[in-house]
Formats: sequence, structure tokens, C-alpha cells
Amino acid sequence: MFPANRMKLSLVAALLCAPLAYTTAQAANINVTRNVSSLNKTMSDGVRVTFWTFSGALPAAAVEVGVYPDGTTTTDTLNLTLSMGMMTPQDSAPYNGHTIHMHGADVKTSEDGVPETYNDVNGDTYTWTPTRDMAGSYMYHCHVHTVKHLEMGMYGPLIVRPKNASGTWLNQLTHNTATAYDYVQNYVLSTVDPAYHTATGDSTVFADYNPKYYMIAGNEGKTTGAPAISLTAAKSKKVALRLIGIHSVSSTFTVKDGSGNAKPFTIYTQDGRALATPQSVTSLDISPGQRFDVIFTTPSTAGTWYPQVTYKNLRDGGTYTNGTVYGRVTF
Amino acid sequence: MTWQCRLLGRIMAAILLFAVGATEAAVRNYTLYITAGSHTINGAGGATLSAWGYSDVAGSPKIPGPVLTAYEGDTVNITVVNNHTLNHNFVIQGVTTDATAIAPGGNRVYSFTASTAGSYLYSDTLNSAINREMGLYGALLVGPADGSNKAWTNGPSYSFQRTWVIGEMDKVRWNDVAGSGGTVNTSIYKPNYFLMNGLGGFDAMGDPNTTIDGVVGTSALVRIVNGGQFSHALHFHGNHVQVLTINGVRQISPYKLVDAINIPPMGTADVLYVLNQLGEYPMHVHTAQMETANGVYLNGVATMIMMH
Repeated sequence: MFPANRMKLSLVAALLCAPLAYTTAQAANINVTRNVSSLNKTMSDGVRVTFWTFSGALPAAAVEVGVYPDGTTTTDTLNLTLSMGMMTPQDSAPYNGHTIHMHGADVKTSEDGVPETYNDVNGDTYTWTPTRDMAGSYMYHCHVHTVKHLEMGMYGPLIVRPKNASGTWLNQLTHNTATAYDYVQNYVLSTVDPAYHTATGDSTVFADYNPKYYMIAGNEGKTTGAPAISLTAAKSKKVALRLIGIHSVSSTFTVKDGSGNAKPFTIYTQDGRALATPQSVTSLDISPGQRFDVIFTTPSTAGTWYPQVTYKNLRDGGTYTNGTVYGRVTF
Repeated sequence: MTWQCRLLGRIMAAILLFAVGATEAAVRNYTLYITAGSHTINGAGGATLSAWGYSDVAGSPKIPGPVLTAYEGDTVNITVVNNHTLNHNFVIQGVTTDATAIAPGGNRVYSFTASTAGSYLYSDTLNSAINREMGLYGALLVGPADGSNKAWTNGPSYSFQRTWVIGEMDKVRWNDVAGSGGTVNTSIYKPNYFLMNGLGGFDAMGDPNTTIDGVVGTSALVRIVNGGQFSHALHFHGNHVQVLTINGVRQISPYKLVDAINIPPMGTADVLYVLNQLGEYPMHVHTAQMETANGVYLNGVATMIMMH
């Protein structure tokens, strides 16, 4: 767009929206590059497990792309580049190489990162231009031999976040102001079966899944005293949690106080789509691949709550030993 | 149009609907033979497993059993013949309640009027889930009385439908043991075969009854019925789906849009996939081992979505 036209548009916008008088933002290109690197992590029992990560972080750093309010035509475009080189950890053929799949993004086949549908496994740029109805949480993960590559740690949060008309990020889940928050954290749910980390190819190891470590945000948080993720918030403030399920078993999310009483929270979006009616609950099942964005309000008196995930087996929902992972919010 | 015109139109439509419904209400007779035999998962990692199935042809099992279809108002008579050496039964979850055992060599008739459009699981509920695990399950589909391509009367329309009967088998601990007359230790279940319509993914990705394959602008009603003992967390690429029913409970419009849906053991869901862009996409379960056939990648619960 030429500057003169933009000025005219701004003027029109200013007149239409007086007295708000904002300027129309320019479409942003959000260019993010990730490489693949190994990470040796010492688990709570002292065992070292090798992970493959995007740019060294488990989970990978969040990628945020903006969407604009109703009445604006501006869009952000994400260009998420996977960079590979000589040092990139690799499995042997046919499961060599890596991709990035933007899980839930519903992009063109060529941007989907699925090798079986002709996507390159030697590095590529994946492009997505989300629209405002898509505000919410997604994830990006490798889609090569997913039974192994996901398990190895190749995942991270992908967030579609509202901006205002002039392009400033909003602290809201969607453009609905009811979703405004004071604090936000990404709770990436994942599980680890160490046998999957050393098996290669079409091994019978991959016929059975026996998780040994349970995580939120890449950490085991086996006790309330040593949580996987923590937040210090003010009293009577809104805390948003983005619950992102890349785990491989069933799970239930709750928020409990120190005495184990479940606290209500409100679900506003699921799989990157706003619920027609937000749902207030005290317990939420999160299955592999699902994402939920929830908000709760901290009480008016000081204290600590423990948002937590209990991992369960796929057969009867029985809880795994040490299968509860704690977060902590102090206010 | 005047209001009189509209009223007249409505009355005529009502008469027409009644007439069509009345003429189409049918008697549907099915015979299912409970049969022991084997079931083969093709492709790398595949195997031939001992299996028991309901079959519409006596002699060899069919895994899953045949898809039974009816429309609301139809009289359905299902004769189940037990050609196996153990007791079996036949229960359609949410439709029939007679769980009486059918002795070897015996048969039993189940009659009902199809009443509520939707997708139902039928299975053998005896023997601590062993009978079901061996393959004795399938789907009953009930359409609206007027026979239209709608999920239910005045419900969401679709262009075509697919039925995904999903499940698993534990070859070593369950099928090999039960198939040779042994005692299964039901406390341990580590299935190594994960099936869509009885197929591993390599077959399911090319099976015209399983793949979502159509032109852009059409929509597929996907009826998902879980005969297995594991939760199946299905993930759709290419588009989100509208969740129309969960475990037989009709959802309220506007329907929830999701790209991942969990179908618990013996659960059902009807989802609408709108084919809205050109391309080829996978649909697959999002849990590690369930994407494999005994560890071989993509020969588990996976199929294709082809939009052209």
C-alpha cells in the first residue's frame, strides 16, 4: 500500500472510529527460524535422556502470530522456517529429516509439513495467515515418524493472539474482551517413554507406550513444593493458561488449593476456536492433540493454587504412578 | 410470499413428509453369524490374528461386523446365529438391552423400531471384553425418517458419509490365547494392532469406504464408533470438524469446531468435515503406538482426506 493511501485510510478510520482515532496497522510478516539440536536432560531419577529440540528448548519457544479486530482487513503472516545442517540430529532412512507441522492450522498441503503428502524433509519455510476467528492455542511439531520425533521433544506452542487495529498485542485470548487476562502461561503437556528415545526405524518398541516421565512445560513437577512451572500473580487478577496437549496418553487438568479443593475455571477456546458459550468447570480432560485456553481469577486473599495435570492410561483412565504434575500460582 | 401461501406450503410439506416417511418406513432383516477364524492386517508389521466376528456370510468372521443401516420408523429384525463354541450375545448400545447369552449352536432375534437418528455401537458384552476384543463389534446407523442426507430430521446436511469403526487387538496376550482356547489375563492389555474398519493404516489410507474423498464444497458426515478398549484421540488435518453428536447426545448449533477429538472405549461421535480446500491430508490418531502396526509407522489408525 502506498503511504498516501494509507494516510487516507487512517483518516477514514479515524473519522469512522472517532474519538478512538487509531491508525490501521500494516500487515506484519513474522519470520521465525528454528533449527534442530540435541538436548541431554537429567530426569528426576538421575537418568539422562536425549531429546531432539527446536533450537535447544524443551518445549520449543512459543511462536506468536497476530490477528486483528473485526472491521480491519490487516493480517499477519507467519513464516516459520526449519533450518537444517550437517549437525542436525537425524534418524536413518526412511525416517531421516524433519519438518514442522502447524498442528490445527489447516494450511495448504504444501505448508502442512507431512512427508507422506510430499513435504520436504530437509528444511523448509511454513507459511500461515490466520484469521481473527482462529485466535487461540496451537502447536508446532515435527511430522516425520511422529511416534519417535514427537516423543524426542520436537514440539512447541504456536499462539494466535489478538492485536488491536494499530497492531499492538492485546492481553486477551480472543477479541472478546471477556477473555482479557493479567497473566498468561503455556502449559505444554508431554510424556516420555525413554525406550522410544533409543529405538530407531520400525521397531516393535513403538508398538507399546510405557511413559516413565510426565511433564508440564518440559519439567517434571512431581510435588507442589517443586512445581514444573510457577507464577507469582497479584490478588483478584485473571490468570490465563494455554493447555497444549502433545502427550501420548489421557489426562485431566484441575486447579486446586493447598487443601486439594478444586477451583472453578472457564474454558474460552478449544483447538483455536472460541466456544459459543464459555464453560465454567472444575475439571477438564485433555486428550492428545487437543488445546484449551482457560482463565481463572485469583482470590482476594493471599495464597497458593496448584494448576495440575494427572496423566492417565488410555484403557480405563487409571492414574499413572507419579502421574500428577503440578504447576503453582502464588498470589 | 403471503403468509397464507407460506402456511399452505408448510401444510403441503408436512403432508409430503408424512407421505414419504410413511411409504419409506421399511422392515429391515439382518442375519449375523458369529464365527471364529482369522483376521489379517496387511502390509509391513501386519499379521494374521485369531479372531471372532459377526458376519453376514456364514463361514468366516468379518472384523468389524457389517454396518447395519435403518431409518427412523423402520422395523429392524436382527437374527444372530452363534456358530462358535462359546456363549455370545449381541447388544446395540442405547438401542437394545437384551444381553442374554446365545448358547453355541443357538440363535436369537432382536427386534426394534429405529427411533433416533444417529450412530450406535453393537457388540458382544460377555466374557470380560474378550469377545469384543476378538472382533465382535460393529456399527448401526440410523438416518432420519425421510431418508435425506441429514444427520437427523432438520439437522445438519451432508453430501456423503463415512463410518469409522475403530478398535485394537493384542495379538500375543489376547488373540493368540483366546483363539486357542486359553485363558486371557484381562488385567494386561497391550494392543499392538490398531484398526479402522478392520484395516491397518496402509489399507485404510486407500480404502474408498474409509477415506474422506470428494470435491471442494461437499461435506462428509463421519460416524465414529469405538469398539476397542483404548481411547482414540483422532486428529484431522486440512480442516476442523463440526462436532454434531457425542455418545449419542446431539450437540447444539453452532457446533463446536475441533481438529482433535477423543473417542473413549465404546464411545461414538458424529462429526462433519467440510471439504473446503484442495489438497491431500492425513487423519490419524495422535497417540504414539496407535499409529503403528506392531511398531510399523502409519499402519495403525490413519487414513486420508482427499479434496479435489
